[in-house]
Amino acid sequence: MSAVSTPTKSARACWSCGAVVDSAHFCVACKKIQPLDPGKDYFALFGLPRKLRIDSADLEKRFHQLSWKLHPDNFIRTSEKERELSLALSSELNDAYRALREPLSRVEYLLAQAGMRKEGAHKQQAPPELLEEVFELNESLDELREARAAGGDASHTSGVRKKLEAAAKDFEAKLAGVDAELDCIAGEWDAALDACADEPAQKALMGKMNEVLNRRSYIRNLVNKVNEELAA
Amino acid sequence: MGKTVGIDLGTTNSLVAYVDPATRRPKCIPGPNGSTLCPSVVSLDADGSILVGEPARRRLLRQPERTIYSVKRLMGRGPADVTEELKIFPFRIDPSNENVIRVRLGDRVFTPPEISAFILRELKNWAEHYFGETVDKAVITVPAYFNDAQRQATKDAGRLAGLDVLRLVNEPTAAALAYGLHEEQRGLVAVYDFGGGTFDISVLKLISTSDGDIYQVLSTSGDTHLGGDDIDNEMQRAIACEIRAQLGIEVTTQSASAQELRKALIAAKHQLSELDRAEFRFELPGGNIFSRTITREEIEKWAAPIVARTMVPVKQALADAHMKPDRMEEVVLVGGSTRMPLVRRAVEEYFGRKPHTELNPDEVVALGAAVQANILETGVRDMLLLDVTPLSLGIETMGGVVAKIIPRNSTIPASAQEMFTTGVENQTGIDIHVLQGERELAKDCRSLARFQLKVAPGPPGLARVEVKFLIDANGILQVAARDLRTGEHSSVEVQPSYGISDTEIERMLEESIEFAEQDFTERQLIEAREEAEIVLRATEKSLINPEVEISAEERRTIDAAVAAMRQSIAGRDYKLIRTRLDELNAATIALAERIMNRALSSALEGKQLENV
Repeated sequence: MSAVSTPTKSARACWSCGAVVDSAHFCVACKKIQPLDPGKDYFALFGLPRKLRIDSADLEKRFHQLSWKLHPDNFIRTSEKERELSLALSSELNDAYRALREPLSRVEYLLAQAGMRKEGAHKQQAPPELLEEVFELNESLDELREARAAGGDASHTSGVRKKLEAAAKDFEAKLAGVDAELDCIAGEWDAALDACADEPAQKALMGKMNEVLNRRSYIRNLVNKVNEELAA
Repeated sequence: MGKTVGIDLGTTNSLVAYVDPATRRPKCIPGPNGSTLCPSVVSLDADGSILVGEPARRRLLRQPERTIYSVKRLMGRGPADVTEELKIFPFRIDPSNENVIRVRLGDRVFTPPEISAFILRELKNWAEHYFGETVDKAVITVPAYFNDAQRQATKDAGRLAGLDVLRLVNEPTAAALAYGLHEEQRGLVAVYDFGGGTFDISVLKLISTSDGDIYQVLSTSGDTHLGGDDIDNEMQRAIACEIRAQLGIEVTTQSASAQELRKALIAAKHQLSELDRAEFRFELPGGNIFSRTITREEIEKWAAPIVARTMVPVKQALADAHMKPDRMEEVVLVGGSTRMPLVRRAVEEYFGRKPHTELNPDEVVALGAAVQANILETGVRDMLLLDVTPLSLGIETMGGVVAKIIPRNSTIPASAQEMFTTGVENQTGIDIHVLQGERELAKDCRSLARFQLKVAPGPPGLARVEVKFLIDANGILQVAARDLRTGEHSSVEVQPSYGISDTEIERMLEESIEFAEQDFTERQLIEAREEAEIVLRATEKSLINPEVEISAEERRTIDAAVAAMRQSIAGRDYKLIRTRLDELNAATIALAERIMNRALSSALEGKQLENV
């Protein structure tokens, strides 16, 4: 399966009665639960296209409907085979909902599926446009650590603490900006799917998303580091 | 096929409940003394028989060395985990085994699941007696914050008690279920469950769908070693200290008088939920009396740090659900410890609303378990529970760091797949260490299991094994591996780090037969025979009563019924005995009425004479 093709609808035979099973989780003829279709990704499991802007209320509704059908509670009194299938399917459903529920993990999943999620080769390296601010932040962090190591009291460190708090807030705001940027590309991705964009176009968008994700995780780590130092 | 019940296997008390088909409402089943609470106490009698519940609790004072309470605290734990517990609880742990806890009762040792199984078996007997039918399946509740080993131990206990455990349900979720039926509530609900030994908090979303109601747990947190027990310990420590200071008498944890003291303090604690002061009197070894007034203020001072500790998980659960306390539309209190006014105030203050206390906090969990049991038994589903795993699942990686593969609060069943390969030439196995917990380092998390994946020797990186970790609807881990080169599924021998191995369970199952009470039919037979004997004796007495007349015809019918009755008693069919019993009763009813009338009229005659 190529990186960006939509999952193929494979005709399968029911394990129990042999009838043809198309896309549903149950055999049309004997109503028995069917194994997970290996050609299906999380989006397809919910009967959704691989679009990134998902209405969360609609997704939740689909999740509840499928839970009702697939949950192991339904299969307590069935054969072991059916119980196993229910366990596999309902865990897949829960995993899928966990991945698609949040916009961020949704993008992560889409890229991972396509083999396009690449952690930055230089994970610790600051994105160029942030270099100056990161440099300043690191200086402040060093200052705080040194003051603390020298046994400086609170009055001594309050100046640098204030500076760090402000910087952390600033970077938090940048995170929100990054999220907005990601949402913007998500919109482009959805439009590209609607326009049946070719593979190189799709890949380019995925590359862009990957870059944004790396930037985001860099800033996230930075904010966490500052908060940890401030709490220490 | 036997019936299915819901069981709350509690630290202090255990209960069994079912859904009454007539009212479609859950109901707790009373035991022989009429109470629905079975104290979770087990005692080994000198003759080798096992006592459970109230009779065992009475022995706590006289024979503490043969009796155990709060065994739930030991479930699924290793000897090293319980050293703190041993300072306060009079558990007598057998020191000969380093991996599995064994508790000494008199001259025998038992694992915690075996002891819990005695409690489950007792409740099973209560239910069987109540229904007049076999009970062989159950839904058992566990603290939401129980880890894999503690859940597995509970399931093992069910199996040892002869119960097919259809599902383990988290206690706060069960409580929400019982309240949901009671209150018809919707929206966001926080369940604060403060029991004898464990504390849980769960945040749920209740949704009405076209299929039925969904109870979706958004997050859960807790402390499996925080409960009313801790308040008792604090009181006991303070009062024992006073006794030492004032009278120079030592009341050590292991002694019988410590049990006496504890019992008296618990009684005072219960009183102080209703009253402002309680008179406390305690007879010391040697006969001296220690007495003093305990005020509510004092007990609240002792309990406050313990109640404050419950707020840590509460905040965590709300943060994990991305909620603020005021977003909760309902707050439900569960567990005996929530009877304390201090606890109610703390919860009300934090959430800014009055918590629900309509349902009996002791019974509500069992009632919820019965609802789930009924759904699984009948297949009639009007609601669905979607619960979560309380702890993150991880595997140990380089440098003892844990890589989380299933985050906490994931809806269960949940799974994760990981790829493993070899690192050195001709490596034949890959070691995998599975852990549960939130900490970064393996040494700070709970070790669940270690196992080795077998691979064919070759250059490094050639072997590719895909391992699927799956947490089932009970919150219990399953592991399966597949060699991607050969496509072969390899069986994974998961050796639990602290649990009991399958072979050991098998051995215990064999041994448990020794302790098993007579099975259901046997007990029915004994009861039917006893009743038959009573009726036979009464019939014989009436037949020789000189004051009533019996026609030859009537006499023949009764004699025939008596003969048939005697014949059935000689057999082993309790249903036949019951039938014959009914027939004999029918044959003697006219006679019995005549005897009754006669007795009545002579009594009246006597009365009239007196009046004259």
